[in-house]
Amino acid sequence: METAARGWRSIDRRTLQTLVTFSVLLLMCLVFSQLSSRFLTLSNFQNLMRNTAPLAIAGCGMTAIMIARGIDLSVGSVLAASTVLAAALAVAGVPLYLAFALALLFGALVGMANGVIIAGMRVSPIIVTLGMLNIGRGIAYLISPSAILVGLPPNWSDIGTGKIWILPFPIVIALAVIAIFMWLTTSSKFGKRIYAIGGNEEAARLSGINVERTLVVLYMLCGFTAALAGLVLSSRVGSGDPNIGIGFELQVIAAVIIGGTSLSGGEGRILGTVIGALIIGVLSNGLNLAGVEPFWQYVAQGLVLIAAVIVDSRVNEGLLKLGRK
Amino acid sequence: MEADDKAAAAPMLSVTGLSKSFPGVQALRSVDFDLRPGEVHCLIGENGAGKSTLVKILAGVQMADRGTILLGGEEVSFVSPVAAQDAGIACIFQELNVVGGLTVAENIMLGAEPGRFGSVDKKASKERARALLDSVGFHELDVTRMCADLSSAEKQAVMIAKALRQNARIIMMDEPSSPLEELEVRKLYEVIARLKAASKGIIYVSHKMREINELGDRITVFKDGAKVATLDRGEADSEGLVRLMVGRQLTERFPTKNREPQAAVLRVRGLTGPRVQGVDLDLRAGEILGIAGLVGAGRTELLRTIFGADRRLAGKVELDGKPVRANSIPAAIAAGFSLVPEERRSQGIVPVLGVGDNASFVWDEFPGRRVDRATRRETALRMVEKLNVKTQGLDQRISSLSGGNQQKVVLGKWLSMNTRVVLLDEPTRGVDIGAKREIYRIVDELARRGLGIILVSSELPELLGLVDRLVVMNSGRIVGELPGSAAEEDVIALSMLHAA
Repeated sequence: METAARGWRSIDRRTLQTLVTFSVLLLMCLVFSQLSSRFLTLSNFQNLMRNTAPLAIAGCGMTAIMIARGIDLSVGSVLAASTVLAAALAVAGVPLYLAFALALLFGALVGMANGVIIAGMRVSPIIVTLGMLNIGRGIAYLISPSAILVGLPPNWSDIGTGKIWILPFPIVIALAVIAIFMWLTTSSKFGKRIYAIGGNEEAARLSGINVERTLVVLYMLCGFTAALAGLVLSSRVGSGDPNIGIGFELQVIAAVIIGGTSLSGGEGRILGTVIGALIIGVLSNGLNLAGVEPFWQYVAQGLVLIAAVIVDSRVNEGLLKLGRK
Repeated sequence: MEADDKAAAAPMLSVTGLSKSFPGVQALRSVDFDLRPGEVHCLIGENGAGKSTLVKILAGVQMADRGTILLGGEEVSFVSPVAAQDAGIACIFQELNVVGGLTVAENIMLGAEPGRFGSVDKKASKERARALLDSVGFHELDVTRMCADLSSAEKQAVMIAKALRQNARIIMMDEPSSPLEELEVRKLYEVIARLKAASKGIIYVSHKMREINELGDRITVFKDGAKVATLDRGEADSEGLVRLMVGRQLTERFPTKNREPQAAVLRVRGLTGPRVQGVDLDLRAGEILGIAGLVGAGRTELLRTIFGADRRLAGKVELDGKPVRANSIPAAIAAGFSLVPEERRSQGIVPVLGVGDNASFVWDEFPGRRVDRATRRETALRMVEKLNVKTQGLDQRISSLSGGNQQKVVLGKWLSMNTRVVLLDEPTRGVDIGAKREIYRIVDELARRGLGIILVSSELPELLGLVDRLVVMNSGRIVGELPGSAAEEDVIALSMLHAA
């Protein structure tokens, strides 16, 4: 009896968490489909997914870091700086895909700087990445004080607006990133290290894991996904704008937390983050269609975040009690 | 015949002249020690006798000041736990180092997962973990379970399997049986037998006489940082071992015990909390009652449960005949309890505040409420003067005071309130000799003023020097009571012999 209860808890606790989040998403879809006849249409879903893609992409990198008990507040401005960089390079005549590659490299390098300072010099990740949040925004404005619109090559918007069959490119890119991060977190050796560092850093160290190097790689990945999210976003918008992505980091973190990743590390799933990102996406899309004022969307998003964390802790508590009895 | 066998087994590990000191304490004095393959070598001694320091040095957690460690004939020195591990020394500490968010198999294989191209070969990983667990007899532990959901015994199994995966030849266990149930302990002994058969050397730290006699091929006794003796199994019985562990010189001076306890002030009946089991306790005004027991016996938890800091699950507490509400620290303080907590730095003081503020924040919350600034300063000044706290003034940061003076403030802040019972948890830990004597004097004076005092201390001479009466705890229960005139040996015998 006792083992049965334990077994049930060990196998299903996290799956159940994901299921609860998923039901919330379905419920929201149901409600919005009643509120607006346009909600359940293919074009609206393409639009919704395309808008959510950057959040899901950056969410992958953030999830990995938060599992390792880190956090990256700089993603919003890294996103801006790398897209402005790509736009400036493209305008200066650098081939578009080389410009994109350099922008991604830039994102990874900023992440590396974060990681080296955090892991190498043992500074709190909140402080380091908060600093980087300002630095990144500053770099974006230094590259171009206003949005770059003129002189962008015509294929600048390809990845933002093109599609394969009924799948817009942003969704294809997001799916690829999600697949890679799912493999990384569930099936790779690197993934085991992330969970070990977040769950019990000392145990990780004693298992011969190079904690510092792993953290640096994690922050690089996060910078990389932020830059990628930026390219997808600005390619769709059709400009390189230094004002883009203000407050984006909080949305990303909200998506990760709604998805069930714990702030205290050691736990979390990419799938949860994807659902979390969709919840945020559906919320703003649905409220828009229902004609709710945009300001209320902030309120709604905040409420969902708080509710998610409360439900999450209650579910965990309930299961723990059940397991003990 | 047996002597021949022993001569044949050359030690796999031998330590000579190992010394280690910390500020103010000689933790290890020129200790010699050796370990043979296929043997269980038990370490025994009081809290702070040096056995843990030896284990920590061998585990690479601390570095020795002097002395040599020969491992397989080669001199080694471990700069880190990883270095010790690489040399084949594994450690099963009490705070078990497993990762809760990973499965049994993932924990065992962590850092050396099988698989190519960065992927984990989950099937091979599970098979390897399964084989390792089977080799030590944990057939029923499912390798896919999450470690967060395991019992202590199961976590130990994971740690042992992981040690074997890392090719450990020497396995150190620090009181491995204390968190276990009786059946699980049996299982642990079977595992140890298997490890012995595989020629592993085992260093086993324990407080429990029964298991030492059952498991230990050899037993080394520590006292005050030095090795007293290494005995073969059966060379000494439990009483003999206890005698080796005590017999220290008394260096402290204690106030004379001519206090006269008066009427009962505190009555505790059937008190049960997370680590306290049905405790009955009576305390009279003007009496100092000691609580003895080993680390983990539930002494701190008993004080905390009385004070409302740990959850009271059952039982009642009465002060001057009036019941005290459960699980409320404000109610306990209002009723007349005060607590000097175990960890001064983290629980006793607010390091960034001044002496005056540290003393007075309790006054603002409780009887005599919201005192004005002037009264507050005056009261604080009086306390500083009376307790002889060495400070430049009330505004000096408390963290810049010596440990003894900090402790005087922690204790003193309660005295301006209507305290009836003072709960002292290791009040002289980390305090120098001079301040210790002052604290003894203050405690004595408080008792003479008619307060009831409960004292928890791991230093037996201190406990016996101060108390009128003492009770001994083990596994959350009170297992015996002794007069203040009892001998150290009696207390140790009660604390340890009762251990399951």
